[in-house]
Amino acid sequence: MRPTLPRPRFPLSSAPTPTEVESLPGPDLQDRYDTAWARKPVARWTRIAATETLGRAVVSSLCAPVIHNRDRIAEMDGPLIFVANHHSHLDTSLIQMAIPRRFRHRLVVAGAADYFFDTRPKAVINAWVWGAIPMERHRVSRRSAIGAADLLDDGWSLVIFPEGGRSPDGWGQAHKGGAAYLACRCDVPVVPIFIDGTDRVLPKGSRRPDPRRVHLSFGEPLAAGESEDSRKFAERIEAAMEMIADERQTDWYTARLRAHAGDSPSMRGPDLDSWRRSWAKPATEIDESAKGLLGRLHRTSKRQKRQW
Amino acid sequence: MTRQYRSRPGLVLEVDRSTAPVLMHHGEQLRLEKLPAGRSRVIYPPEPLKPIDDPDAAIRDALENPIDSEPLRELLHADMVLTIAFDDISLPLPQMKRPDVRQRVMEAVLDIAAEVGVDDIHLIAALALHRRMTEEELRHAVGDRVYDAFAPRGQLYNHDAEDPDGLVLIGETDHGEEVQISRRAAESDLVIYVNLNLVSMDGGWKSTATGLSGYQALRHHHNVHTMLHSKSFMDRENSELHTRNWRQGEVLREAGVKVFQIETTVNNDLYGDGALEVLGKREWEWSARDRATFIGLRASLDRMSPSLRRRSMQGWRAPYGLTSVQAGEVTAVHEITTSNVFDQQIVPVEGQTDILMFGLPYICPYNVNSIMNPILVHCLGLGYMFNMYRGRPLVREGGVLILSHPTEPEFSPVNHPSYIDFYEEVLTTTTDPEVMERDFEKRYAEDEWYRHLYRTGYAYHGVHPFYMWYWGAHARSHLGDVVIVGGNPEAVRRLGYRPASTLADALEIASDTVGHQPSITYFKNPPLAMADVS
Amino acid sequence: MSRGRESIVFERNIARFGAARIASQWKPGSGGSVGPLKLKTRLPELDLPADGWVRIAPHLSGICASDLAAVDGRSSRWFDPIVSMPFVPGHEVVADHDGARVVVEPVLGCVARGVQPVCAPCARGDLGNCGNLAHGQVSEGLQSGFCCDTGGGWSTSMVAHQSQLHPVPDDLSDKAAVLIEPMACATHAALAAQVQPDELAAVIGAGTMGLGVVAALARWTPPATLLVAAKYPQQTQLAHSLAECRTVAPSEILRAARRITGSQILGRGSNARLATGVDVTIDCVGSPASIESAISITKPTGRVILMGMPGKSTIDLTALWQREINLRGAYTYGREMISGRQYRTFDLAAELIAAADLQRMLTAVYPMNRYADAISHAASAGSRGAVKIAIDPRRGSR
Repeated sequence: MRPTLPRPRFPLSSAPTPTEVESLPGPDLQDRYDTAWARKPVARWTRIAATETLGRAVVSSLCAPVIHNRDRIAEMDGPLIFVANHHSHLDTSLIQMAIPRRFRHRLVVAGAADYFFDTRPKAVINAWVWGAIPMERHRVSRRSAIGAADLLDDGWSLVIFPEGGRSPDGWGQAHKGGAAYLACRCDVPVVPIFIDGTDRVLPKGSRRPDPRRVHLSFGEPLAAGESEDSRKFAERIEAAMEMIADERQTDWYTARLRAHAGDSPSMRGPDLDSWRRSWAKPATEIDESAKGLLGRLHRTSKRQKRQW
Repeated sequence: MTRQYRSRPGLVLEVDRSTAPVLMHHGEQLRLEKLPAGRSRVIYPPEPLKPIDDPDAAIRDALENPIDSEPLRELLHADMVLTIAFDDISLPLPQMKRPDVRQRVMEAVLDIAAEVGVDDIHLIAALALHRRMTEEELRHAVGDRVYDAFAPRGQLYNHDAEDPDGLVLIGETDHGEEVQISRRAAESDLVIYVNLNLVSMDGGWKSTATGLSGYQALRHHHNVHTMLHSKSFMDRENSELHTRNWRQGEVLREAGVKVFQIETTVNNDLYGDGALEVLGKREWEWSARDRATFIGLRASLDRMSPSLRRRSMQGWRAPYGLTSVQAGEVTAVHEITTSNVFDQQIVPVEGQTDILMFGLPYICPYNVNSIMNPILVHCLGLGYMFNMYRGRPLVREGGVLILSHPTEPEFSPVNHPSYIDFYEEVLTTTTDPEVMERDFEKRYAEDEWYRHLYRTGYAYHGVHPFYMWYWGAHARSHLGDVVIVGGNPEAVRRLGYRPASTLADALEIASDTVGHQPSITYFKNPPLAMADVS
Repeated sequence: MSRGRESIVFERNIARFGAARIASQWKPGSGGSVGPLKLKTRLPELDLPADGWVRIAPHLSGICASDLAAVDGRSSRWFDPIVSMPFVPGHEVVADHDGARVVVEPVLGCVARGVQPVCAPCARGDLGNCGNLAHGQVSEGLQSGFCCDTGGGWSTSMVAHQSQLHPVPDDLSDKAAVLIEPMACATHAALAAQVQPDELAAVIGAGTMGLGVVAALARWTPPATLLVAAKYPQQTQLAHSLAECRTVAPSEILRAARRITGSQILGRGSNARLATGVDVTIDCVGSPASIESAISITKPTGRVILMGMPGKSTIDLTALWQREINLRGAYTYGREMISGRQYRTFDLAAELIAAADLQRMLTAVYPMNRYADAISHAASAGSRGAVKIAIDPRRGSR
């Protein structure tokens, strides 16, 4: 017999909501969670202090990022919308470390309202640690859009992952329109960022990081055209993203050529279901030397690595 | 943050196997009880209605635009004799946070009276045969400003139904019921009645014809026959109690007693949104904080001494909100009041049940700041709770009523002296209300000692325990059995009921009467609700 | 006679007195097992103290509250000069004397003691108040059962003066006859109260004595209303079967008395009393609480009869003083006057037992070797649904 702990019963645990009863609108969580407090001086400066020290140390020990093309935004001044592909929780920290200080210290990150803001403790931690703001990803929410727009108007830069969540298989996913909409609405340039490698360090579903070097490249900032609607602009952002990805795989000029020809390789991977999508993913070289500090301590890892 | 009012209607929940235990009051204590799945249902009271934003403005408006009456200002003139009567300590339950609605109304009325220049004003707590209110209680009801202005001059006092010179016999109804009223009220040019309608039984002619009256008149409706034919006394149309009161009211009107009735209703917000909020919430909506509060509250109540427990519970003041105020002609005003009470309290319920269950709280109208003795347990359970229905009783004829209350044979010698004798002498002889009425009532009603304690102390009238027993007469004749969970066995048996140590035992005992697999309805309250049974 | 006498002997033993006193605090009646009693066998027969004394063989002997007090070490020191040790307890005795059944009138008065001339009370037949309880042919002892020379009922044999013996009517069984002595006490107390037909009377306590008083009042001087404070259900039932009365729990007597007198209660808690009250109260318990409650329900100038043995009590007598209440004791018996005629109390008691069927008050009879059980049963009689417990010396001896 396996010893089992007694299951806590009501009132130690909560009571199940009866089936025929409509449940209450919960407390002010998800897209109703008000994060204003996290941008007040105390919260903001403690966050910056923690990010610059502890955050930077953790990130560099896990993935020692190489940053490319930072010059593309050297001339810009805020606010900006940073959009990036999304594989891992590390992405946010990577972007925070990679962007220039003038953006970094006045930055909010769009976090999935249903994931990062579903309970009060999570909402509080995410709002403080990342400067996250709730963003509705499954439905159109005026509340989250207005909240983000107000912040952009206020001069805050925004990090947003247009794929709406981390990739389950390493391939990219279809872009959602939020970033483009905000850019059009607030007339703010969009900076595409391509992150390569975090899907190997800490992919979705993993709890145990496998340290290795990652690459982060900035793309050319994009501004919505006069007559451009947000749907068109979103397509342009996605195309720009594919071009930087291509640039990482090949070289700048090849990528430009393919982009103009309209045949940059899609990031979304083959239109397949199931395991074959994962199977089709190109292999990445294992570069032991590129591993960060933690990685070197991590040699005895028993994790099965996919070898090609 | 301002209080949020969801004001969802009441709810009838069918209990299934995943339904969590439900909160049940047990005197001053709290319990969680698991109900049998598949055949039980829980009636949840409606949530508090949103109160009026500006109560004082609403009150002024009601006084200026009364129903079937001239505005109050025009009824007043400088050299008039004016009496303001108001409901006593039995309303509302528990007492409300200051300012009491009566204070607001009375201040508004007195403002107008001062403007007109009325000097001869008496304020009378219309307590009929209830105990007198203490200074502190009067201050709570009318407010310090009113108290300090009138009490020192002897113009604010408790009604005395045993003052030989204080009552006058107005006449008789065509049914031979005597009509009696306070002499001061009879001799006034205008009687203003300030009411607080907590349940649909209150108000209307019952305010004046009962509140300012005496035993001689009360016995015509506070008796077994009337109570057996009041089905229920919470439903005026079907209440013999009210029919008789209304007849007496007509006699008052014809005799020229002019009454300007001001009736108010409050929502059922007993617990507010503070620490005790959990007690007013539905179990599945209890947050982690609510559950922690509940566990702490239950544990500390269980560990307190009975007297400390009583004091801490009696100390609670509810943040009721005023939901309506209407003034003018008695019956017209009362129609609106009743419908407003129903708006807050009615829960539609389909069909009767075999077993009806209540967790009785620590308070009933007759033990405010006092002890709930076994006779009051009977009155609250079989009198008030059983009668919280419209249409037909929630429990079928021959069904079983299960109450949860400690029912300790503990009495307040100050407030309930005649109850002790009733318990020791009457209940050891009979539990039949008709026999009591025949063999004992008169002696208790006319006992000099009780009369003395009623007039000079804070005792309920000698006859009051009989009325408490009659209040349950209809329920007694309707029910097949009554089981009291967790009650003192000796006391419960003396009431003529059956003691059970747990709810499971009680259901087992009930199965003698209603068979196995009976349908069960748990009517969760407080706050009070009223079942509209179809 | 070859086996000799077997008796339960009460000996002077300080250690056992102390043990009994302590043990009985925790459980009344435990003096029976740890106290000064001992069952002794093969004792020599007692000598006949003088002419007129005879040897009798007890059939049954009751256990009285005064026996329990002695056994539990709670007896008043008042008795020291009128008791001689070692003694054999048992003064409620029905016995065999030369083949005839007799009951013993246990008081050792002048006649039994051979004191000449007899004192004034003895001359009146008022034996209980005899002035010579420590003189004469037998040692100190207020009654048989407290005297070292006479023996007592908890024994296979004892000696008694012929003047102490009353023949038992044939229609009374032993079990009824053993109640004659206690019922004589009850009759005496009831008659001492001198209840008038228009008076309100209260009896506090409904053990053997209380019930006996209720029966005696009902038979000879019924009051207008009789109020009985009875603690246990069987006591309530018996009281109702013996007399027309109202029974209440002892804690309720003040309110009940208020109701029948139409009086008022003044004061609260232990200081509560009636403004007026009942005419006469007979306290058959003898505790400080019962005496105070008796005084508090009795009207000014009323009578309070102490029938239960009080022992050393702390009582506020201000009430007695302020209300001019007559407090009197009622100990034993002798002769009674009823409507101008004199009767021997024992005859009245026998008549009362037969008329009221009091034999049902004898709940249990124990053999001699189980005297400790008998005493513990008697000490908790009420709560165990019993009234009177007796010992049968013919059984259980070795």
